[in-house]
Amino acid sequence: MALSAAKPLIRRHTEIGIFLIGAILIVIFASTSDGRWANLYNIGTIMQVTATLGLMSLGVAIVIGTGEIDISVGSTFGMGALAHLWLAARVDPVFAALAAIVVGAAIGYVNGWLVTRTRTPSLIITLGTLMIFRGIAIALTDGFSFSIPYAARNGWTYFLLGGGDVFGFNTALFWLIAAFAVLLVVLKAMPFGNRLLAVGGSADSAHSRGVRVDRIKLSAFVICGILAAFAGALEAGKLGFADGSMGRLMELQAIASCVLGGCLLAGGRISLIGALMGAFVLSSIQSYLVVTGVQPQWFILILGLIVVGAAYGDKSLRNWAIRK
Amino acid sequence: MTQQPLIQVKNLDLYFGAFHALKNVSVDFNAGELIGLVGDNGAGKTTLIRVLCGIHAPTKGEVFFDGRKVEKFHPKLAIDQGIETIQQSVGLCDNLSIARNFYLGREPVKRILGIPFLDFAKMREKSSRVIRQFGLRENVSADDEVERLSGGERQSVKIGRAVEFKNRVVIMDEPTNHLSVREREHVNELAVQLKEQGLLVIYITHDIFQVHKLADRVVIMENGEKVADASTDSMSAEALEDVIRQGGRVVEKQEAV
Ligand SMILES: Nc1ncnc2c1ncn2[C@@H]1O[C@H](COP(=O)(O)OP(=O)(O)OP(=O)(O)O)[C@@H](O)[C@H]1O
Ligand SMILES: [Mg+2]
Repeated sequence: MALSAAKPLIRRHTEIGIFLIGAILIVIFASTSDGRWANLYNIGTIMQVTATLGLMSLGVAIVIGTGEIDISVGSTFGMGALAHLWLAARVDPVFAALAAIVVGAAIGYVNGWLVTRTRTPSLIITLGTLMIFRGIAIALTDGFSFSIPYAARNGWTYFLLGGGDVFGFNTALFWLIAAFAVLLVVLKAMPFGNRLLAVGGSADSAHSRGVRVDRIKLSAFVICGILAAFAGALEAGKLGFADGSMGRLMELQAIASCVLGGCLLAGGRISLIGALMGAFVLSSIQSYLVVTGVQPQWFILILGLIVVGAAYGDKSLRNWAIRK
Repeated sequence: MTQQPLIQVKNLDLYFGAFHALKNVSVDFNAGELIGLVGDNGAGKTTLIRVLCGIHAPTKGEVFFDGRKVEKFHPKLAIDQGIETIQQSVGLCDNLSIARNFYLGREPVKRILGIPFLDFAKMREKSSRVIRQFGLRENVSADDEVERLSGGERQSVKIGRAVEFKNRVVIMDEPTNHLSVREREHVNELAVQLKEQGLLVIYITHDIFQVHKLADRVVIMENGEKVADASTDSMSAEALEDVIRQGGRVVEKQEAV
């Protein structure tokens, strides 16, 4: 039968599930929203959300690749946004974005350092830092929001860092494509990527071959922190303001993107393109709920239901592919 | 002038939590020697060689390599010193291909603008050529994931890798596990060849009669202790077997003689 010819492909490419789910949802959304979902403006909006969530998901995927997890990224995103906004009103946005990246790297370093030094599960460590940095973000803004005066919202650097569109797409999308391309090459074609996946596959075996397991994990957390904070900076550049709650709950979406996209939480097997597709699917669902006028209070419930359904569908597909 | 041992282990103690895994172990290992390390299950053979290859740091005692005291224990440092190990239960990452496992930690690169990119052609070609000598079937490709391999094929990857990177010391922890008769002989020949090339070979096995034929010297462990250390000329395989069977009690008698 023709269908069973696809089995080896599905077995090898764990991200196929999310692509099928994405394709099905696109058809459903486009055909049931009376043109409100499938139009250029709305697709542009979905892409902007996908870009920031996608950058975060790429970082989370890298950490998952080492067999750890980072759930602090929502707060890192917020801290990146605040750093960017605070500085962009004073210096060139390039320096503001660099500062956001430094903040993200520092948070990633703290996470990685705590995980490797204390040998405590990263789930609980980053749950702690999720709360710590959210607390700091709320304390910094103290109930107000940071914003860039309208007069400062110009210049090509502001434009390039989330503040403008190219070909109808927010510039964040191009950053996402660049980050994806670089990470894909690092992961698949450089020694660092080989060692990173080895650590996730079997930390003991990697260690026995002389791989510095702790350094690899630390680097993964730093990369993840940088991407999350940079995503926050791009989002801040788009909106021009942010309060202490920016990025809240985004960590859950990023993890969902990775898992739906075929990243194995046990480590060692990740799909970057799958994580991006996961981010796209989640953004699409949100947008669908918005354009069809679903009350916002139902968002998270419906999103959760679709995530559970999609995860189940993906699992069934994989089980089917494994069977002879 | 007496030759200085290549590796010298002095009064080594190692605890896993409260469990005393190595008890005051002292052994000299010389270059150009093939040493059999034998003993019951759980005697501490693997633990001892894992100190030598940097996986475990001892709780107490000293290790000297080439006369210099080893201060830091990490597999990377041991590998850089020229110690190559065929591990018993670790060493392969199931999620990676054969070629990627083969070169893990010392990947060959081609630099473009100074950036290191994996040299896939070399990784594939060389790894499959070396591993095929130790029983990897022709229809298995170097790009296949290790997860798919049989026990013998996995072992052949580990052995091939040690041969490729052999330098000064090759440690083999039950290397013939999962291997067919022909490959077993091949590995045993290999151990002798390496020794003849002047390397130190440490060979762990349960097959006393086999190792007695190969080795210059046999070290017996029992319950974390070294209970015998004798050249194969001075002790028959049967005597060795007796020592192991009786948990080392014979030795005191022999030493008393
Ligand atoms: N990482 C560890 N943590 C705790 N205990 C350990 C660890 N590694 C080994 N042990 C214990 O140390 C003892 C010695 O184990 P070791 O693996 O050195 O034995 P062995 O002589 O190699 O045995 P075998 O012939 O079965 O391979 C065993 O009782 C084992 O349970
Ligand atoms: Mg053992």
